[in-house]
Amino acid sequence: MDNLTLWGLFFAVGLGTYLVRLSFIQLHGSTQALLERSKTILMLLPPAILAALCIPAIVFQRPTTEYQLDWIQILAGLVTVLIAHFSRSVFWPVVGGMLCLWLARWLISGNAV
Amino acid sequence: MHFSNYRQQFWEGVRDLLPLVSGVLPFGLIAGATGVALGMSPEMIMGMTVLFYAGSAQLAAYQLIQDNAPFVIIVLTSVVVNLRFAIYSATFAPLIAPLKARYRYPLAYLLSDQAYGLCNVPEQLNRSTGERLWYLTGVATSMCVAWILSVLLGVALGTSIPAHWSLEFTIPLAFLAMLVSTITSRLLFIVAVVAGLGAIAFQLLPYNLGFTLAVIAGVCCGIWLPGLVRRGGQSNG
Repeated sequence: MDNLTLWGLFFAVGLGTYLVRLSFIQLHGSTQALLERSKTILMLLPPAILAALCIPAIVFQRPTTEYQLDWIQILAGLVTVLIAHFSRSVFWPVVGGMLCLWLARWLISGNAV
Repeated sequence: MHFSNYRQQFWEGVRDLLPLVSGVLPFGLIAGATGVALGMSPEMIMGMTVLFYAGSAQLAAYQLIQDNAPFVIIVLTSVVVNLRFAIYSATFAPLIAPLKARYRYPLAYLLSDQAYGLCNVPEQLNRSTGERLWYLTGVATSMCVAWILSVLLGVALGTSIPAHWSLEFTIPLAFLAMLVSTITSRLLFIVAVVAGLGAIAFQLLPYNLGFTLAVIAGVCCGIWLPGLVRRGGQSNG
């Protein structure tokens, strides 16, 4: 993507995000029914999107041209899930997962040498 | 006397946000450094940061730009990742909607996960509207400053971070951690599993179509499954 397209992209997302933030504040009073109806989908979307975003990126090697599993990344993902289950922050699970990734790669490259 | 009271609320908000910076900072570092790793110029990354003011959407956009996804898909996905702001907007509407436009528009921009979290504890909800507004302003402004500075630091450090550290792998890991925190019921767990498996199965479809299909599959499953289970239960009983 060239720079101009990227700026167009950023403005479009920025505007869209701002409109989402403003939505109910601006339409206050006339939207209670709509909110009630869309509540289920609003609740289902985050887990669906997050899972679809991260699962392939963790399971497969990049760049993805075929189904090439990356076991070290999968292990790091499992460590992240485990830590995230007990800590409410995003920070510590990511740190744990990355440490696991580096450690496992270092061990394997050490064995190879 | 009233004014000094409100000023106190503002600074209380700033003070309450400070401990959360420990979570914001690494996220901002990642957002900044990943932009540099993708070959974007510093002013572009900062422009993106200010326009989005949403870390997870920014990371999602990075990933999709990297995947060469089409423009429309990236815009839709990033905005949809931010749909939770609609919930915050609805939550804060009684507080912010009556304000003059010149206060209302900036405050809407400043809404964030952190502001939502801090301003909706019982202790805050029991206070007067004025006190709550000033507290929200304190939390939201300091959060915005902390975020932009964190990304700036990430941009500054970006080039000095070696490629073999695979720092970009922190993005899916961060999403995974967020995913775990969004799963609060068995139904949401099933939705996540369906969407995740769908994304794997459709991985090689062109135009990042697999991602969209996986999300739709997950959401449909979440809509229909409770009905199916109920009907199944009735026919058995």
